Amino acid sequence: MYNVAEVNAEECVAQKGCRLCIMYCPEANCIQMDTTKMVATIVESRCKGCELCVVVCDAAKHNAIKMVAR
Amino acid sequence: MGKKIQINKEFVDIMPQDYLDLVETGTFETPNRGWKDFGTATELIAEHSLCAGCPESIAFRHIMASIPNPEDTVMVGSTGCTSLVFPMIAVHNIHSLFGNQNAIATGLKRALAVRFPDRVKDVIVLAGDGATVDIGLDMTLQSWFRKERFTTICFDNELYANTGGQESGLMQKGFLAKMAPVGKKFEKVRLPEIARESGCDYVAIMTASKPSLVEKVIKQAVLIAREVGPTYIQIYTPCILEIGKQSMEGLQEMRTSEAPGERFKFREFISPEAQSFLDGLAEKKKAEKLATSGATS
Repeated sequence: MYNVAEVNAEECVAQKGCRLCIMYCPEANCIQMDTTKMVATIVESRCKGCELCVVVCDAAKHNAIKMVAR
Repeated sequence: MGKKIQINKEFVDIMPQDYLDLVETGTFETPNRGWKDFGTATELIAEHSLCAGCPESIAFRHIMASIPNPEDTVMVGSTGCTSLVFPMIAVHNIHSLFGNQNAIATGLKRALAVRFPDRVKDVIVLAGDGATVDIGLDMTLQSWFRKERFTTICFDNELYANTGGQESGLMQKGFLAKMAPVGKKFEKVRLPEIARESGCDYVAIMTASKPSLVEKVIKQAVLIAREVGPTYIQIYTPCILEIGKQSMEGLQEMRTSEAPGERFKFREFISPEAQSFLDGLAEKKKAEKLATSGATS
């Protein structure tokens, strides 16, 4: 079992200009911006499960990311 | 995308997808690169082997997104956790022996000036606090005394994290680490002040918690190093394992250490020559903005 982040597309406010998770993810090319739907998407094979994106998303009260077991 | 970075047509069909992405959507030869490219453009750093949530990798990402001319930049690294990342970056880099990174950068800068007299080549040294302050202090200081024109970036995690937590010169007084159980008896070395007195034209001390600030400082430092003189940046990248934090607590640790009165509160020193150079740059930018807005309206 391995924990990875998952974005709830309905809660994600990327279309308002939020880039917090993309900014603070320590992994390169891990959280990508889906420019057609304007939501953040996680590349699961690159995610190490550090939960920093959850911390910044919750701190901004968006609560759009949670950790799931894979 | 650019002309300088392209794949030989014979090899396009056998190149890995990651490599193709990098050449097609990487931010080479992009004038205003920065952290805003994250998420849409391919970054110049790939899957590295640092720990989950390591603040050093956040700093590394921001630095790789901020250097003004990645296609004409050579980075010099040293032993430590940074040497785990250097094989994964899309910029020319040299791994030096432990401590002599500034000596290597000196030779490299001079050689590049002879080999490419008509091109601007940036050299950036990126090493940990052990290489910069303890083992390589001689080379670091001598390069500043000689006013060598390159940027020195120190990833300050306040101990030797890669080897298990030994005491380093930048460790704070009284700090207990796994391999330093007595606690440090001396004050943290004040390298930013030493750098200022040794001839650096631009010195900044900061944490990696604000991408826009990292971007601004790195760009200023590289441009000043190109035209004026040596520059030094000290970035706090705490080792979450050695200070006993969880993977998601690194960001908060950086924020607490940069609060007013704390040891990593943002400070910068700009020499008068560097300041006049920066003012010139700002004026040039303003004039360009006016010219473009005038052309469109």
